Amino acid sequence: MSSHALRRIILVGLMIVIALILTAINPVFLTVGNLNKMFQEAAQIGIVAIGFTLVMITAGIDMSIGGIIALTAMVAVNFISFTKIPVILFVPVTLLVGALAGYFNGLFITRYKLPAFIVTLATKGILAGLALVVAVKDTQGFVQNVYIQDAVYLWFGGASFGGVFRTTIAFLLLGAGTQYFLKNTKTGTNIYASGANPVAANLTGINVDRTTLGVYVFAGMCASVAAIFISSRMMTAMPELGLGTEMDVIASVVIGGTSFSGGSGDIWGTMLGSVFLALIKNGILKLGMSPWIQPIVIGGIIVVTVIIDVWQKKIAESIATRAKLRRLDAAACEDAA
Amino acid sequence: MKTKNLPPELKLGAVIVLLMVVLTLVSPRFLSVSNLTNVIWSVCLIGILGAGSIYARITGGIDLSLGSMAALTGIIADLFMNKYGMNWLVAIGLTVIIGGLIGLFNGFVVAKIKVPAFVVTMAAKTYLYGVALVVSSGAMLAILKPKPFIAIGTGRLLGLPNPIYIMVVLVLTSQFLLKRTSFGRRVMAVGANETAAKLSGVNPDNIRMAAYTISGMTSAVGGVVLASLTQQVFAAAASGIELEVMTALVIGGTSPVGGKGSVIGGLLGAIMVAFIINGLNLLNVPAQFHPIVTGVVIILALLLNEGNLRIGKFGSGSLGKKSAAA
Amino acid sequence: MANTTTKDDVLLDCRKITKSYNGPIVLDQVDFSVRRGEVHALVGENGAGKSTLIKIVTGVASRNSGEMTFNGKELPFDLSRKQAQALGIACIYQELSLIPGMTVAQNIFLGKEPLRKGLRFIDRKMMNSMAQELITKYQFPLNPTDLIDDISIAQRQLVEILKALSDQAHMMIMDEPTSSLTKTEVEMLFRIIHTLKEEGISVVYISHRMEEVYALSDRVTVLRDGKLVSVLDKEQISPAEIIRLMIGHKLEENAVHHKLGKVEGKVVLSVQNLTSVGKFQNVCFELHEGEILGIGGLVGSGRTELVRALYGIDPVDEGTITYLDKPYVPSVPNAIKSGIGFIPEERRLQGILATQSIIKNIGITNLDKVAPRAIVSNKAEKEYADRGIKLLNVRPPVPEHLVGNLSGGNQQKVVLAKWLVRDLKLIFIDEPTVGIDIGAKEEIYDHIRKLASEGVSVILVSSDLPELTRLSHRVIVLRRGRIFTQFSDCVLTSEKILRAASGILEEQTENRVGA
Repeated sequence: MSSHALRRIILVGLMIVIALILTAINPVFLTVGNLNKMFQEAAQIGIVAIGFTLVMITAGIDMSIGGIIALTAMVAVNFISFTKIPVILFVPVTLLVGALAGYFNGLFITRYKLPAFIVTLATKGILAGLALVVAVKDTQGFVQNVYIQDAVYLWFGGASFGGVFRTTIAFLLLGAGTQYFLKNTKTGTNIYASGANPVAANLTGINVDRTTLGVYVFAGMCASVAAIFISSRMMTAMPELGLGTEMDVIASVVIGGTSFSGGSGDIWGTMLGSVFLALIKNGILKLGMSPWIQPIVIGGIIVVTVIIDVWQKKIAESIATRAKLRRLDAAACEDAA
Repeated sequence: MKTKNLPPELKLGAVIVLLMVVLTLVSPRFLSVSNLTNVIWSVCLIGILGAGSIYARITGGIDLSLGSMAALTGIIADLFMNKYGMNWLVAIGLTVIIGGLIGLFNGFVVAKIKVPAFVVTMAAKTYLYGVALVVSSGAMLAILKPKPFIAIGTGRLLGLPNPIYIMVVLVLTSQFLLKRTSFGRRVMAVGANETAAKLSGVNPDNIRMAAYTISGMTSAVGGVVLASLTQQVFAAAASGIELEVMTALVIGGTSPVGGKGSVIGGLLGAIMVAFIINGLNLLNVPAQFHPIVTGVVIILALLLNEGNLRIGKFGSGSLGKKSAAA
Repeated sequence: MANTTTKDDVLLDCRKITKSYNGPIVLDQVDFSVRRGEVHALVGENGAGKSTLIKIVTGVASRNSGEMTFNGKELPFDLSRKQAQALGIACIYQELSLIPGMTVAQNIFLGKEPLRKGLRFIDRKMMNSMAQELITKYQFPLNPTDLIDDISIAQRQLVEILKALSDQAHMMIMDEPTSSLTKTEVEMLFRIIHTLKEEGISVVYISHRMEEVYALSDRVTVLRDGKLVSVLDKEQISPAEIIRLMIGHKLEENAVHHKLGKVEGKVVLSVQNLTSVGKFQNVCFELHEGEILGIGGLVGSGRTELVRALYGIDPVDEGTITYLDKPYVPSVPNAIKSGIGFIPEERRLQGILATQSIIKNIGITNLDKVAPRAIVSNKAEKEYADRGIKLLNVRPPVPEHLVGNLSGGNQQKVVLAKWLVRDLKLIFIDEPTVGIDIGAKEEIYDHIRKLASEGVSVILVSSDLPELTRLSHRVIVLRRGRIFTQFSDCVLTSEKILRAASGILEEQTENRVGA
């Protein structure tokens, strides 16, 4: 627990320092408008990252979230543009897209025991292809850019009091809810146990496969939710929407302290990570630096963070082993005496 | 007992021949020289990248930075030749060395620091893309000279495009390296049972670092060929090619958990996928369905492969923790 | 001790349990019964069948024949782990089955967390206080909110015990629970076992440590070679008696007695004051040409650690090694180059490349011969493989066969072959015949003897006492990481080794090496 807390403190501290430096160089940074935008960017990635966190806690990975976002956006846009079904229903339909995609991911991984990484890469391709299939096209078959005009749809991407975007609010609510769920329900405990020690979890009666499957479904649904907010804010949707967000999502989760080996991490960390990432991105723009720096910074941060994490774990382990060996040694001396 | 011992490459070859028969029946255009050449051509880059990245796969890791590396090295080669006026051979040589160094760094982080391979190379994919953007200033650069460089990609020898020869040479060399050298034996041993390999005198860390270095170097070669072939370089070139390479290797019998692999199998896998896509084209199936078919093919291949991997799993608990790294 | 337990108070009753794994019979008509509230020790050498019996009782493996009743209920043949647990059979594992990252309380109540009234949320406070209740009741040095990661192994064992208690366990099986504990922790464990007894909970205690068995048990069941030898009552229990029963007097078997002669010859390896913190201390010995030096000792006494360090796999902290009259720093590549080989303890996990052919398995340690200029000569590789197959009589003698498909004995032969086709001077062999049929065992023994007669020195680690006595020219016995005693130039029996391993000093003229 204490290492987690330390990490959070360092993260927040870093963010404050960076924010101060940015404001000093470019005062535009600290305006309400910019901050709202920044948090909205964080929220867009963050919503996806929340679901992704649960997947990582079970020691899994889901590379298809970009595809889920794309497909959901296309389905939603089609739905709005071409059906007469009441718009209220479009929310459950979109969630269904993510849930189904997540279900298939989870099925291949838990039932057929296929390696999560490759499988989700494959489903990403399938989903991206489906997104193109579903995309609205003109008479010659070329994909058309659809401008969203439906009021209900647009509502999601808008702002409410104080200019705070609804995306941000959804992010905070979802985050808090998921965190509470993780820490206070049996299913939440099951998720941690399934990732930390699946054999022991199974013995205790936890259905590890079912828990894992559920986690992928949830991750899929989170991606769908994000798709709605993203396309709503942009007021348009292209079939490439979301493809490429994996790195941002992974970066957020990794910065937040969730480990790839499972069994640890939480939503607060991921949320902090998403904000940190958005801060960096925003900062790069505000400093007038080339946007091309962005992937370098993100990729670099991921590598550095993971290296530090692994090092830290190794040091902790070697301290524990040394202590254990010293105790055993002392015990042996006791006996020989 | 005889059929069981047939090498998987032969079986795959048989499937491909079958596929060709089906496709010929489906469309008369299939068996034309121009069509077949086109297919093999599209397989070239995958063949080159597969030949190099297979070592990382066999040792239980993965290299996701192939595409970004290829794009970046193409840009760098162009810069060396056309901005700094280097001789094209020297430029290519330097580029390959740079690719190797980046690969070595990846390998170091994977082997010595023990960070999961997919994280390291996925992050590399991202920051190398960024570097490519910076170095190319985000533009798509046309390469019109030097002539010998262009000839690499666009020239022909005995009627076949040069890249095919390059790919064949690399594939055969890699296959030889894997199957007929002590290095190849060590790579397979590390993939099969790292502990047993260590006890037999193999250094898994060195093997892994070498594997990623090779991957980096072949990515550079691929980048050069691609740049020469298309006569342009840009940061997003070859983006997403990693999945195609992985599909080809999996179909070709390279195990996702390591220990088994064949370069020629990988090439055959790439050819098979290319034929399938070609068939779809000949049938006028719209382009959007292609990645869907590829995705389905790889899942099928995994399902089939996993069924044959019982030997490797001595009831050693859940695969949960391994899936993230595979 | 109040002994009011009658024969009617039997909790677990196993009758005529038989189990065989495709061939060798591991358990042969074994009876095993545990009374309520008793501490019952289960002893026997490695391979006597203790683990298999426990696996059957806990539902990990299934018996071939025989009846089992627990708490009056008959146990089915396909008893699952979960079912056994639900019935009240708990096993405290050595590799603990706790969840890292969670607290003590969370681990105790995993899967059965108390929920808040009406809601589906865990009542954290309630869970912690329930855990505290248990902790206070048994006076364990634990806190409900401690993280599993932060507490010691002894404490984790306690958490496992609490978990079992909260599962209403009637019987707890402890397998070598004290091997990682300090003296004080062992005493604490004994107190706890006593408390459990008073609660009416039975404890099945598996251990090689005779003094513990002697101190704790109400009854002892001794197994040997898969058969029940004897069930001793408290008054009959003494460490010497148990050992005698474990080994058995097989007067007709000369194999068990072995006359060790004087050892002479060049000193090949000389080890001085070798120490690795927590594993072994101040180990000194010399190894002669063509000598088979056996290393005996209980599980955890440091034998495997010692040979691993000598081969160069694990580092050492202090000490010097001289090999062939030159100072030697152990490292695996060094070793192989200098004519040293290593047969690891766990064949499947450490010894074989299961997904590869015999050719490749034998080839991997011989790349210097088979691929002198980095290119593998298929011909040479096959030759080596053929030679190895012939030498060790690997069956079936098909070099292309995948080693994972061979029988245990043949797999081990391949592991041996890859070294024996080389010019060896010294070879470490760790548990050569675990899980191997008699025929293959004898073949391997012949090969080891032949090696020695050809001048190769062998360091043999084995828990199979007859094996150790038959093969060795000299035996050193480790106890808690130190050389306890040495046997040479005398008559050696399995019993003597086990007594030494258990810390029982002989009165005769053995050399007792100073600790």
